[in-house]
Amino acid sequence: MAILEARGVSKRFGGLAAVSDVSFDLHAGEILGLIGPNGSGKTTLVNVLTGALPASAGDVRFAGVSLRGVPPHEIGRRGVSRTFQVVKPFRNLSVADNVMVGALFGARGGTRDVTTARRQAEEILDFVGLAHRAAAAAEGLNVPERKRMELARALAMRPRVLMLDEVMAGLNPAEIDEAVVLIKRIRERGVSLIVIEHVMKAIRNLSDRILVLYHGERLTEGAPEAVLNDEKVIAAYLGRRYAEAARA
Amino acid sequence: MRGGRAARLGVAAAVVALIAAAPGVASPFIVQFIINVFLLAILAESWNIIGGFTGYASFGNVAFLGIGAYTTGILLTKASLPLAVALPAGGLAALLLAAAVGLPILRLKGHYFAIATLGVAETMREVVYNVEITGAGTGLVMPIARNPLLFFYLMLGILVAVTAVNWWLANSRFGYGLVAIREDEDAAVAMGIPTALYKTIAFALSGAFCGLAGGVFAYWITFIDPDAVFKVIVTIQMIIMAVFGGAGTVLGPLLGALVLASVSELLSTQVVTLAELFYGVIVILVVLFMPKGLVDVIRRRAFSARAVAATLREYRI
Repeated sequence: MAILEARGVSKRFGGLAAVSDVSFDLHAGEILGLIGPNGSGKTTLVNVLTGALPASAGDVRFAGVSLRGVPPHEIGRRGVSRTFQVVKPFRNLSVADNVMVGALFGARGGTRDVTTARRQAEEILDFVGLAHRAAAAAEGLNVPERKRMELARALAMRPRVLMLDEVMAGLNPAEIDEAVVLIKRIRERGVSLIVIEHVMKAIRNLSDRILVLYHGERLTEGAPEAVLNDEKVIAAYLGRRYAEAARA
Repeated sequence: MRGGRAARLGVAAAVVALIAAAPGVASPFIVQFIINVFLLAILAESWNIIGGFTGYASFGNVAFLGIGAYTTGILLTKASLPLAVALPAGGLAALLLAAAVGLPILRLKGHYFAIATLGVAETMREVVYNVEITGAGTGLVMPIARNPLLFFYLMLGILVAVTAVNWWLANSRFGYGLVAIREDEDAAVAMGIPTALYKTIAFALSGAFCGLAGGVFAYWITFIDPDAVFKVIVTIQMIIMAVFGGAGTVLGPLLGALVLASVSELLSTQVVTLAELFYGVIVILVVLFMPKGLVDVIRRRAFSARAVAATLREYRI
């Protein structure tokens, strides 16, 4: 069953078609990899899916209900969360308070009590491996810690669909392996995920299916092995050297 | 946690009780001074709701003081209503004005919001100048209050209420929503916070308390005209006091009002001609050496030369 359906989604900025006529389904419990070269419209697509930008055309349905005209905070309240490629921490708050805001707001049915929310935030920080930094100011975190906090904040919202926009960028190989394990554990909690990533090893390892964008259009979609060996994808994005290295 | 909270509440109640007893021992001059401190503290705490917690620097909050003053004044003089009706009506008028202008202008950010709020305040003054019921340029003369202590207790009551609201903001879901908006509005939206609604409520609350203070102020000084209650400098004072004490903290604006009003009073009695200059120098020094306000310095006990140097480094001065 599809929890999120995009049908003919387009986003134009003046004369520039950032996303053109993209359709896909995200199935419940699935991890969908979203890849493509820089400027191919991945982040714009996430912005449209979460209502941060209104679509120029097309429709997005979440749990069978159209999100057309639904304000972005309401989409968050219904259970769609995202992280930002350029992380957006609440700098002057502690790490625990950052995550607590996610618990206090986020999807409906959560707590409205600050003490309860703080306890939930601590549990989630423990889950993402950031409990030891709970009391630190968010502005003092290093890059991998910021990425983890961004993830923890989105998780605290109790999402049904979570979109991760390059949470692995800037991480070293060991940290990437940890992030892969973490994302798989998030899926085990019943969350459906869209994962934008340039780290092919992680995308291959995580994704049930991969959607490839190129110049804002859907280039192809399918099982990881098929997509990553697709000549069109190699030509548009991965490059010859990647293909030869992968075969070797 | 709970025990600490009860203890703090006890201390706060004791302090309020002590202050409430002050008119019994203090001279009339001191009582007038305290009323003035109350007024400034109410304004600073009010500004703190929108400027400190929500991060929207309003340069037009004096508009709410003014509309509160005029609403209360008109109801007292032209409608001969009792203060018990006229004062809440002033607060309500300010609340409605803040909500009405807030809806469109809270879409603006930073400088643009500041300019728009400034425009609202200046527009309000011009409107009052040109309307018959306000007495236009000649102003309004209030009835004489029988008991001067009335102002003391009204101002104290409003100050306790607005401080309580600030405390609630620092400890509640709604308050965390405002702080999230201040820190990063895009992230706040993505996290499910209805930012437009929250900002409007914050602005309306800020306006309502300014309006209540304005109502008492009008009755207290017995005469109001547009220039007296729509002065841009009053908004600037709110901002300076809140930032001096610590914007976005519960007690910072109160402390800022107390300290700056005392300094200002001392200077104006000691060095009359240079008072304004000294005041300006103090403000500049404070912004340089304690950019996060007095409360932050006290909380971190950062009084040493090393701590000051660290602050200067951190803010690249």
